[in-house]
Amino acid sequence: MTVESIVENMFELDSPINELNRLLVKYGLTQNQAKVYLYLSKMGIKTASEISKSLKIPRTETYHLLSTLQQKGIIFSVFGKPTKFNAVGIDESVVILLNNEKNRINELETGKESIIKLWKMIPKYSTSKEKSDENKFQTLQGRNSILVKLEQMIKESSENILVLGTELDFKKFYHTDFTNLLKKTKSELRILTDYSSKGMHIFEDIPSKKIKKLDDKNREDFCFIIKDDTEVIFFVSNSELKDMMALWTDSKTFVTTLRSLFSLIWKKAHHIDESNAESLLGSEITYEHRLREIEQEKIILNYLQKNFKLSEKKLGVKK
Amino acid sequence: MSKNSTIGDSKIDSNHLNVLIIDDNEQITKMLTTFLELKNHKCTVANDGKQGLTLIHENKYDVVLLDLAMPEFDGYAVIKSLESKDMLKNNKIIVFTASTITQDELDQLVSRGVTSYILKPIDIDLLLSKIIESATS
Repeated sequence: MTVESIVENMFELDSPINELNRLLVKYGLTQNQAKVYLYLSKMGIKTASEISKSLKIPRTETYHLLSTLQQKGIIFSVFGKPTKFNAVGIDESVVILLNNEKNRINELETGKESIIKLWKMIPKYSTSKEKSDENKFQTLQGRNSILVKLEQMIKESSENILVLGTELDFKKFYHTDFTNLLKKTKSELRILTDYSSKGMHIFEDIPSKKIKKLDDKNREDFCFIIKDDTEVIFFVSNSELKDMMALWTDSKTFVTTLRSLFSLIWKKAHHIDESNAESLLGSEITYEHRLREIEQEKIILNYLQKNFKLSEKKLGVKK
Repeated sequence: MSKNSTIGDSKIDSNHLNVLIIDDNEQITKMLTTFLELKNHKCTVANDGKQGLTLIHENKYDVVLLDLAMPEFDGYAVIKSLESKDMLKNNKIIVFTASTITQDELDQLVSRGVTSYILKPIDIDLLLSKIIESATS
């Protein structure tokens, strides 16, 4: 088997190396940087020319990629003529890349103040009057963008946070600050979700009185979070979408509608820790239940009318 | 004829019971109050579980008629709250419900400390005798 065919097999579409490649991109590498790193880490010591030929990347670009990877600290060169290259072990490389990203975030944090300061120094040229009551809409794509918005909403909330969605929806945010912030919020928290004995780990530290069970008929494909009756983030569910997508708005109509929907379901729902008897009773007052109540009303009314000559008007009850 | 019983230090006079009704059905609570007052009993009404629970904590009732299906804080929540404070067995709680509930489930409630249960609809004389029976048991 030639080196070329091995490389071809390595980077076949269904090969795990492609998944690795995608993951490394998340750690700050470009597609080709990840490709070169993975090639070296699996094939061992190679010259730039060999890498270029095997990966079908132009030689000048290959030199540039090798230089960047060296700067990042995940490959190293071996002195000789021609210079050869090899990869740092995967464990160490992941730590290095992670630390690089952390440092980058720290630098961005430090630069935040400077950006705001500089921005304020530039005069505003817009003459149009801004309307404070206009509805704002934002389409958020990707878990991170949505997460940032969610965290901002929870941090800023002062009155109430209403959460509706399935366990599956919330699992996407497991081990993120979103769940921690929900646990710590001082606002009144209400969560409507489906329940299975295997799940619910995501809400394990939230008092059960704040959680009610979303019954089957309300377990539709919708998930939203309302903050202080003023903002809502609504998740867009579509199997064709590769990434998560959500709509954020402060539209009063939109918020009020979803708030009413939440209240209606909350009112009829039961807390998750209620016994079987309670869940068997169901969250709804059934037709039969209402008939029995009416029958009871009639029995008492007839008795009072018959024995004490009391009219409905006098009793202050409606027919 | 009056039947007397004691709860703690206080004597219960079956002719003058102090009854708390926790039920969100205002028609029933209004008419039942009228009926019980005409029979010389004292009656207090709470239209939801939370209010009912507060009244139980603040006052002493000879008997509490508790509806199970109520919005927000229902009868089960009242039972659970009393149970958690070890107060369920110290109060004469009669579950008064129109809900579809099995005998096993009712027995389970009784084993937890609920005094008795009455399923709606019930004849009014029978209802009164059940109230008296539970209050003086």
